[in-house]
Amino acid sequence: MLRRLLRDPLVHFLGLGALLFGIYALVGPPGPAGDRIVITRAAIAEMARQQEALGGRPVTKDELAALIESRVRDEVFYREGLTMGLDRNDLVIERRVRQKYELIAEEEDSAEPSDADLEAYLRAQPERFRQPPDVAFTQIIIPAGGPGKMSPESLAVLRRRLEAGADPLSIGQPTQLPLQVNDTPLDLVARTFGGPFAEALLAIPVGGWQGPVASSYGAHFVRLDRRTLKPPPRLEDVRSEVQREWENARRERTRAERFARLKKQYRVVVETPAG
Amino acid sequence: MTRLNRIGLSALLMGASLLALSACNTAKVETGSAGAAGEVRATTYPENAYFGDTHVHTGWSADAGQDGAVTSPEDAFRLASGEEVTSNTGQKVKLNRPMDWMVITDHSDAMGTINEIRAGNPEMISDPFLNRMYEGLKSGDPQVMRPLLGELVDRQSNGNLPRQMMDPKWAISAWKKTIEIADRYNKPGRFTALIGFEWTVNAGGGDNLHRNIIFRDDATRAGQVLPLTTFQTMDPEKLWAYMAAYEAKTGGRMLAIPHNGNLSNGRMFEETRFDGTPMTPDYAAGRQKWERLYEVTQMKGQSESHPLMSPTDEFADWDRWDRGNLNGVPKKPDSVRTEYWREALKSGLRLEGTLGANPFKYGANGGTDTHTGLSTFEEDNFWGKLKSVEPRKGRWEPVVVGRAGATGYRGWEQAAAGATGVWAIANTREAIWDAMQRRETFATTGTRLTIRFFGGYDFNAADVGARLVKAGYAKGVPMGADLKAPPSGKAPTFLIAAMKDPAGANLDRVQVIKGWVDAAGVTQEKVFDVAWSGGRKPGPNGKIPAVGNTVDLKTAKYTNTIGAPELSTFWKDPEFDARQKAVYYVRVLEIPTPRWTNYDEVKFGYQMPDYVTRVHQERGFTSPIWYSPS
Repeated sequence: MLRRLLRDPLVHFLGLGALLFGIYALVGPPGPAGDRIVITRAAIAEMARQQEALGGRPVTKDELAALIESRVRDEVFYREGLTMGLDRNDLVIERRVRQKYELIAEEEDSAEPSDADLEAYLRAQPERFRQPPDVAFTQIIIPAGGPGKMSPESLAVLRRRLEAGADPLSIGQPTQLPLQVNDTPLDLVARTFGGPFAEALLAIPVGGWQGPVASSYGAHFVRLDRRTLKPPPRLEDVRSEVQREWENARRERTRAERFARLKKQYRVVVETPAG
Repeated sequence: MTRLNRIGLSALLMGASLLALSACNTAKVETGSAGAAGEVRATTYPENAYFGDTHVHTGWSADAGQDGAVTSPEDAFRLASGEEVTSNTGQKVKLNRPMDWMVITDHSDAMGTINEIRAGNPEMISDPFLNRMYEGLKSGDPQVMRPLLGELVDRQSNGNLPRQMMDPKWAISAWKKTIEIADRYNKPGRFTALIGFEWTVNAGGGDNLHRNIIFRDDATRAGQVLPLTTFQTMDPEKLWAYMAAYEAKTGGRMLAIPHNGNLSNGRMFEETRFDGTPMTPDYAAGRQKWERLYEVTQMKGQSESHPLMSPTDEFADWDRWDRGNLNGVPKKPDSVRTEYWREALKSGLRLEGTLGANPFKYGANGGTDTHTGLSTFEEDNFWGKLKSVEPRKGRWEPVVVGRAGATGYRGWEQAAAGATGVWAIANTREAIWDAMQRRETFATTGTRLTIRFFGGYDFNAADVGARLVKAGYAKGVPMGADLKAPPSGKAPTFLIAAMKDPAGANLDRVQVIKGWVDAAGVTQEKVFDVAWSGGRKPGPNGKIPAVGNTVDLKTAKYTNTIGAPELSTFWKDPEFDARQKAVYYVRVLEIPTPRWTNYDEVKFGYQMPDYVTRVHQERGFTSPIWYSPS
């Protein structure tokens, strides 16, 4: 079982990852001849801590001995591999190092934004952080036959009955769509009724039965009871989101700048294909 | 930093792993919705289905990174919540519609150490070098930071690091960074970012026995443990012990979702323990307790049903990846018996009889299993499983799983699937997790059709209509639950309502799939058509004829001139036998629509070979309702 496991490519990748990303690092640096392997107290403590975090109980003496032995084995073969240049021209290793480098380099730009930074960011794009309007409405689907088949007079009759206070459920076609929606953000209404129907709610007047308004479920009569536009957001209401977006924008910007800057240190030669 | 040479590489590896830098914003996590006034309103019973993906790998998963994926958990959550991000191939990508929630399930491993120097921890900054580092971090000035980083690396290579840095308690791994990102993107009421990871068991050379683990909790609880890896164990019983230990230690909750039984070469529902010994009552109870849902649809094929096990079901043959396991080891002919959900639901009834608990009591779940960080299950916006098959001409062709040959799977075979609809009382971590725990979920192949399914003894045809949902909760139980013992003589009745995706295709039909154990102890199944569009009548074989096909392959368009936007019905089991255990689930089919391969052909202006599937019927499956005579 173990032999098969060790031959599994995914295990190799995971093992390599674990190797590169912390296990090797906690071992002492190689001596001048590269023959000294030190499993430090800190490394052993870390092994024990990780095992405990996984097993939910303290590591046993035997388990720890096995972990240490495994670490020594890793280290010996790793160094042998390095002397053979096995880390060269290995796309997996290269990509992992790249990943680590990029993560670490990100830490260079770590200052918290000031209130002024965030205010400026928010002011530059208030729509991005503004909440969609809330709507409250009642709707029915115009019965089978629909507006295409119904004469304008029949539609008008239906509308008058609704305006007169008839029970909408007695007029509308059966549907699982909610009869009444209370003060819900418009984009969430769109998830149930579809985008075009929600868009239409921005345009129709408040009060009175309006329609036909189309959705992919049919044509509707809608009575819009409330439409509450949200004011431009204040920083204190949206701070965590603004900060998150500000940091994201900074990360992307500095990533591009950093690469441009670093690339200048190298002479890149791209060979053209033969023939 | 200077150019890398071999020594520099070693130093970098060592230094990077002990780098004394903190993660961003480890300050207090806000659970309130950023910008929304007041708390999130919960409803008395679930009124909305929330859609998301339980199965996403970013570039931080070892295998995704190896394939060249560069996306981070940050990119993944941004895309899911509706933002535009840059793909692994440098293209701009944005979903047609945001998701309601998502889980990132990276194969977690330690990515290096980033610690709390930034926080100005007194123990740290009592060291002069670390104090300079702290000041440098505060300044945020790269000109100051870069030489400090260089100095750090030098110190590491000379064994000259401050004692504080060597203390492993400051090590924070990619796990911690991931869960902090989840907390940052979690916006109750609008977008739920759930914490999770994948425990990736590839037994004996590629038999897929993976489970995704989903937390109910935030980073303060999830951060108290490390994700279980297969270096620790491949045995699910040890996984369950790990889950129990987490709950006992933190007061939090976890559940597990297995996937890809279709690639397990018969092992997913083998009727033994992992070590091959007979299944025990404890095993059965444990599996039912911890594993609540089963992923029936995803990019690597479906695990719901198989034509060999369901030969009379004309819709059992779809999205088939059934030739071998992840490593291309061919499947033995009998393996299909213990890989697919429908068969397992039936076997579970049988095993319950002998073991006292049903080990295969799984609700329905769908996810993508993308390894690009980009969760895409929209046919006209499908970004593939791997970086190498992000949108481009010719991406139908390469082998994406396994090796070239009979057991390899090629680009065109990927499904732009799946998703899970969760009937929750609010869009929050707690409400969504609780709904998954009680199995009030349905899986779809990527569209946002919704399905309601209630079982009880007092329903009647008059309950169908505007009050269906209210009646369902009041007089019965929803999907995922158990029917109570029947009042004598009464057969179970069901209320079912399916609605199309408001931006998608009409519905073809609604079916109830029943499984049961007969008097001889043999499992049986039957598919009932219970609602369908138009005036179609059953044909000579008793089946409702096909709905038709409006797809124009030249333009990758279809029209909703066939099918129906909603289908609701009352149904009573005409073959009910009160003495027999039974399980019922609903399957809903849409009218035929273009598959992503056809969208690609039109977008890139070329033709794939004839054998490539271009048209399909998207579908949804509810969690079952179980009946037991006792």
